[in-house]
Amino acid sequence: MKILKMIVVLTLIGLISGGVLAYVYQWAELKIAANQVRETDAAVFKVVPGTKSYKTIAKDDLTYFECFDDVDGKLGTAILCQGNGYQGVIKLIVGVNADFSKFTGMSVLEQLETPGLGAKISEAVFQAQFNNLAARPPIEYVKGISPSKPNEIQAITGATISSRSVVNIINKTIEEWLRVK
Amino acid sequence: MKKGLMFELLKGLWDESPTFRQLLGMCPTLAVTTSIINGFSMGVATLFVLLCSSVIVSLLRSAIPKEIRIAAYVVIIAAFVTVADLFLKANFADISKALGPFVPLIVVNCIILGRAEAFASKHGVIPSFVDALGMGLGFTLALTLIGSIRELLGSGMLGQPWVIMILPSGAFITLGLLIALMNVIKDKTKAKLAPACPLACPGCEQGGVN
Amino acid sequence: MNFLLSPAPHIRDNKSVTIIMCVVMLALLPATLGGVYFFGWSAAILVLLSVISAVATELVMNKMMKREVSIMDGSAALTGLLLALCVSPSLPYYQVVFGAIFAIIIGKQLFGGLGFNVFNPALVGRAFLAAAFPVHMTTWANAFAYRGLDAVTQATPLAAMKFSGQGTSYLALFYGNVGGCIGETSVLLLLLGGLYLLYKGIIDWRIPISYLGTVAVLSFVFKADPIFHLLAGGLLLGAFFMATDYVTSPITAKGMWIFGIGAGILVVIIRLFSGLPEGVMYSILFMNAFVPLINRYTRPRILGRKK
Repeated sequence: MKILKMIVVLTLIGLISGGVLAYVYQWAELKIAANQVRETDAAVFKVVPGTKSYKTIAKDDLTYFECFDDVDGKLGTAILCQGNGYQGVIKLIVGVNADFSKFTGMSVLEQLETPGLGAKISEAVFQAQFNNLAARPPIEYVKGISPSKPNEIQAITGATISSRSVVNIINKTIEEWLRVK
Repeated sequence: MKKGLMFELLKGLWDESPTFRQLLGMCPTLAVTTSIINGFSMGVATLFVLLCSSVIVSLLRSAIPKEIRIAAYVVIIAAFVTVADLFLKANFADISKALGPFVPLIVVNCIILGRAEAFASKHGVIPSFVDALGMGLGFTLALTLIGSIRELLGSGMLGQPWVIMILPSGAFITLGLLIALMNVIKDKTKAKLAPACPLACPGCEQGGVN
Repeated sequence: MNFLLSPAPHIRDNKSVTIIMCVVMLALLPATLGGVYFFGWSAAILVLLSVISAVATELVMNKMMKREVSIMDGSAALTGLLLALCVSPSLPYYQVVFGAIFAIIIGKQLFGGLGFNVFNPALVGRAFLAAAFPVHMTTWANAFAYRGLDAVTQATPLAAMKFSGQGTSYLALFYGNVGGCIGETSVLLLLLGGLYLLYKGIIDWRIPISYLGTVAVLSFVFKADPIFHLLAGGLLLGAFFMATDYVTSPITAKGMWIFGIGAGILVVIIRLFSGLPEGVMYSILFMNAFVPLINRYTRPRILGRKK
């Protein structure tokens, strides 16, 4: 009898909890999906300025977005990149123009670098260096001096490893994208 | 002796502060208090789960057989934690991202299971609600306080930003110093309010060293 | 000299804490003056500010915690001096003050004052500064930059080796006109002080020898240049003046070997395989944490007792 009561009570609690959760999930699901779309929109529009619409393409572990506007057609491509930084995985998105001559922007989406040092890769000053950067040859970084070549960026003082990681992640992903696109 | 509701509410803020006195829920306390808003939202999420689960546990306290009470509490708590997590994800995506896995981890926060087991399972709905409110507010207050100290120093209130304050070590230093400060205040007020009872019976609040 | 640890009765030595601290500070004098010579008056101001803030903090803490005033034993002044010697010469002045305050309060007084602290207070202060102000702590003024002769900033020899593969000549490292912390650059001046301490019997030879020896052997094993790794960075400053701190190093001979070898292994691991160019500070702090354990397991057997 006692066993029966235990089973009944626990089952009831489980059932009711499950029911409540199913209801809340139904309500939250749509909003969560909308949030994700908004996030992607914001990232893509930021790195390929002028984008009005984009098409998501996933090929060989690579996700990229063909960007279009109303007038000229294809504007460029926004590519999701991912790789190891100094302390953890860095996720970023980088935009290139339609003829792949220059980068149109870069935005770090997720990173776990040291606050005050490596975390500066998320700051606008560092990311702005990728606007109008030459896409070929691959990006290089310099330390302590101003970049002299069109494909160079300046590494963050005291955070060479994080800066180098960003450059390597982008270069690697670009090579892969050129191969699969 | 029956203690008043006011006592149940206030004990969570000071005498039995979950963070500074009982040292419970240390994981979110140390991990997410890098800013005021993070500390505050973590506190509120915990307060919500604590209130709901305490009330439900108190309502069901005679219906749940004692052999399965822990399992039952965990299911109830987990349900409310998931609700809180989904709510944050849907309406406050940025905060949810900043708090990361620590919202789902409220399930294993000792404060919640502790209050369910130690208080709500033995008291009526209203005292349980007040107890949970006090504990939850104490937790929220503590996290907000730690978060504000770390954010202010970490973002450069005193000259250059003190990067250490937004690193994990800053959480330990801040928490330790706040506990020390609280002990100092407690010792001072105690010495002033109640001179030690000369009998000093063991276990008595009034006597000897507590 | 051979020190033997034994149970009572002890022969009482006439070395008081104050005298020991003064001798250590005297031994650090060449390196301190060298730092001022290489990096200019700002180095001297940093040293003075650090010593003054450490002593003042100690006094305030003594008063606040209602303890005996302990500033005359010289330990706070030594902490301040050591802290200043292991910070960048271009550090903003107020930061070294914060470092000294942190070193005394968190590193020493909250543990109970001299004799009770687990970690070397100067290194606690430095670790705080390195975590709080990472950019300032890793920006290095070039030696003689204050005379306007050379580039203003420069990588330390270890950073140049690690991040760019550039070596530095042994002679420059020995003499000390390279980038680095105020008191760590000149091997010559540090050796002078270290040997003086050994000669006076203030420090035991086992910790420096095992520490330096381990670094040399291990860097050789991992195909790095052992001479470079001995001369570069803060290794000598750490080995002679920080790892040998009485309070935070083991008291038994065997324990000293364990401490030195452990710290040496850590330095090589950090320098060669981690993201940081230098690991002396963390190696000593890390081994400090093990000192109570080391002391416990290397305690000499009491005569007649079973092991």
